[in-house]
Amino acid sequence: MTIFFAILFMVATLVMVVGLGLKIAQYARTPAPLKIPTTPAPLTKPGVAFRLGREALMFESLFKGNKPLWLFAMIFHLGLAVVLIRHVRYFETSVGPLVALVQPLAQPAGLAMVAGLLLLLARRVVIERIRYITGKSDILMLVLLIAIGASGMAMKCLVHTDIVAVKAFFTGLMGFELRPLPTDPLLAVHLLLVAALMIIFPFSKLLHAPGLFFSPTRNQTDTPREHRHLCDWAAKLEEKRS
Amino acid sequence: MAYTTNGASIEADEEGFLININDWNEDLAGQIAKDEGIALTPEHWEVVNFLREYYAEYQIAPAVRVLTKAIAKKMGPDKGNNKYLYELFPYGPGKQACKIAGLPKPTGCV
Amino acid sequence: MAAPFDTPELGNVEERRIPALKVGAMAESKPYVAAAAHQEPLGFPGVLEEGWEKKAIGHMGELLSKYRSLQVFMDICVKCGACTDKCHYFLGTADPKNMPVARQDLFRSVYRRYFTPMGKIAPNLVGARDLTKDVLDEWYNYFHQCSQCRRCSVFCPYGIDTAEISMAARDIMDSIGQGQKYCNEIIGKVHKIGNNLGLPAPALLDTLEGLEEDMEAETGVAVKLPIDVHGAEVLLVTPSADFFAEPHILGLMGYAKVFHAAGVSWTLSTLASEAGNFGMFIGNYEQMRKISLRIREAALQLGVKRIIFGECGHAWRVAYSFLNTLAGPWDFLDPRYPVPQHILEFTNDLISRKGIKLDKSGNDGMVLTVHDSCNVARGARMGDTPGGQFTIPRAVIQASVPKFVDMHPDTICEKTFCCGGGGGLLTDELIELRVKGSAPRMEALKDVVEREGVTHMAAMCAICKAQFTKILPYFGHDREMVVSVHQLVSNAIILGDND
Repeated sequence: MTIFFAILFMVATLVMVVGLGLKIAQYARTPAPLKIPTTPAPLTKPGVAFRLGREALMFESLFKGNKPLWLFAMIFHLGLAVVLIRHVRYFETSVGPLVALVQPLAQPAGLAMVAGLLLLLARRVVIERIRYITGKSDILMLVLLIAIGASGMAMKCLVHTDIVAVKAFFTGLMGFELRPLPTDPLLAVHLLLVAALMIIFPFSKLLHAPGLFFSPTRNQTDTPREHRHLCDWAAKLEEKRS
Repeated sequence: MAYTTNGASIEADEEGFLININDWNEDLAGQIAKDEGIALTPEHWEVVNFLREYYAEYQIAPAVRVLTKAIAKKMGPDKGNNKYLYELFPYGPGKQACKIAGLPKPTGCV
Repeated sequence: MAAPFDTPELGNVEERRIPALKVGAMAESKPYVAAAAHQEPLGFPGVLEEGWEKKAIGHMGELLSKYRSLQVFMDICVKCGACTDKCHYFLGTADPKNMPVARQDLFRSVYRRYFTPMGKIAPNLVGARDLTKDVLDEWYNYFHQCSQCRRCSVFCPYGIDTAEISMAARDIMDSIGQGQKYCNEIIGKVHKIGNNLGLPAPALLDTLEGLEEDMEAETGVAVKLPIDVHGAEVLLVTPSADFFAEPHILGLMGYAKVFHAAGVSWTLSTLASEAGNFGMFIGNYEQMRKISLRIREAALQLGVKRIIFGECGHAWRVAYSFLNTLAGPWDFLDPRYPVPQHILEFTNDLISRKGIKLDKSGNDGMVLTVHDSCNVARGARMGDTPGGQFTIPRAVIQASVPKFVDMHPDTICEKTFCCGGGGGLLTDELIELRVKGSAPRMEALKDVVEREGVTHMAAMCAICKAQFTKILPYFGHDREMVVSVHQLVSNAIILGDND
């Protein structure tokens, strides 16, 4: 089991890092031939950074669009953020200040994350419009995240696992050193699902995380009259003109 | 689609505008109008005839304002307004009257 | 002629009623397909030919590599549904495929099938579909039920703009011979005659002459509508509907009076007798560019120093946001002015520094509200600060009329609704869609008519003006309730005494 998970996590990490890297490179490389910020838009680059920051941290547009959904999404993402930070302790030999800070929040955050996911799942079933647009993969993604959260919470609150050994396994793995992983079924399920999530990340709608920062309607300045915006393929058309 | 008058089949587009303006004749105008639910009166003919004259000179239908002015001149100032033209051609003097007059449909943001 | 249909019942704007889904309600709604005679002059195939599927996918791949917006938007939608109740066509028709995410998914399902590993391996799981004739027909019908108004993109947490996807879909359909008659016929007229209307120069000159007579008869002042005047300071580019339709033409006379009163020399151009650029509607960069270059050519030929655009929504988006890209650089124009300027920027500036004088009594008895045009509101700007596209038109209207009130805040400024006829849908065969799509705006209008006694609604876009003129009677209003912003200026401006 140790060897299986060691290989799985190396593969999963590789797929996620390379996959995401390729996707981000694709987004960065693809030209944006026209200025299409959704206006009113910021006029300066710091203004754009502030707009993106508000979108990433506060979900500004979603707040305008749908308050209950905003709340559910906030509950889930904030919970997830704390849980992720909290999990850093399994990868570092000495616990950092941020991890220590969120330590007491771990349990409520885990609950919030799962509760948020359940609310998000419920609206996919209950609201007619959302049911209509929901595909199998949308449900599966939520179920996957719920299962990860639930298995994690179960280990935290009900059937404790040997987290010292888990930490040893992962810190070891980071130095390509094999240390035994506890043979705990709940842990196995949790890790298996996390690895699955990492592997599908670059091929799924989870791309919304890096994608937001490449969205031309949000990341462009509103300066088309001041500065001529011309991408490479459009510039080639100009050569034909003159 | 197509119209049939006096035994001849006359080609029109999906909306009933003639493909070839030279196919137009007065009987055909009556039939197009009937399809539109309009029985042509002398007042309608004033409009139709003006549209055709204008088109012959400029290769386009006149602006609504030009039409109302011309109608006011011919039929009196109380008739030179949009309301009157809409009474004659409920679907809009621009498009419906053009169709009956055999002119192409005005396009664009109109 | 379209089949009969029921005009939607208007609810209370405050309740923001969301309709229950009516699957397939608008499945049959579609505009006429372009004939070969409309396709070929634009370089598109005349008809759908054998092998179109492969060609379409090839073109999709090309667009994905040329437009970051399309590539990113294809990947990042999480189907949260924040957009589902934002589209005026969904609110008016209840057809679930008019929910922005569902409309996008018509495209995205095909993208997934041909361009993503998951769609190739497990098409069922991720909702991936082959591009079949049925799918193409669905594309044709539903991508012509989007007015590219960008309202959905305001509320999307990632800024996904369905307009970008509609444009790409239409471009792909053009590239395989399945174009839309309305847009492509019009673009052909621009190339051949110079404007959307197909108004030849002699007819334009005659129309302008008639309008000059009217203005002189009405005001006693010889206000001119100059055209093709070399060395004029300003080139005015305005939608050709301003030479033809009501109330557009009243706005045109308003521009002329402003230039007259300000003592600024100006000219129209027979070469650039169209501000609108339908190249955007069909998502075709080269068409958009070719249409834009007419303006550059006219400006160079006439030796003008500034370019000002008349009231036209999508035109202003192309002009403000894209003109510098498409037809710039504008280094031969006077660098003290932005290129291009909007007529409302010009008039507002004159009003604020008392360069023109307005007498509100010219609009006595009128209570105004304003319809923010979608592409002005969310695709462009006026003035120096974000949101100038909202404050400047309001400032001009308020300076011209005795009473002004805004409609419900969820229906104005960046949240404004499309008039229902934008984006290449202003064609008679889509009248049902247009009437139903205007319901959200009509609901907000009804509210201020009842509460505030609003008598008129000002618009600043040729499409909005034509659309409202047509659909207002369906909702029991007079068609003349819609007015041009510069029609109000025209009624209020004091001519003659210029100092």
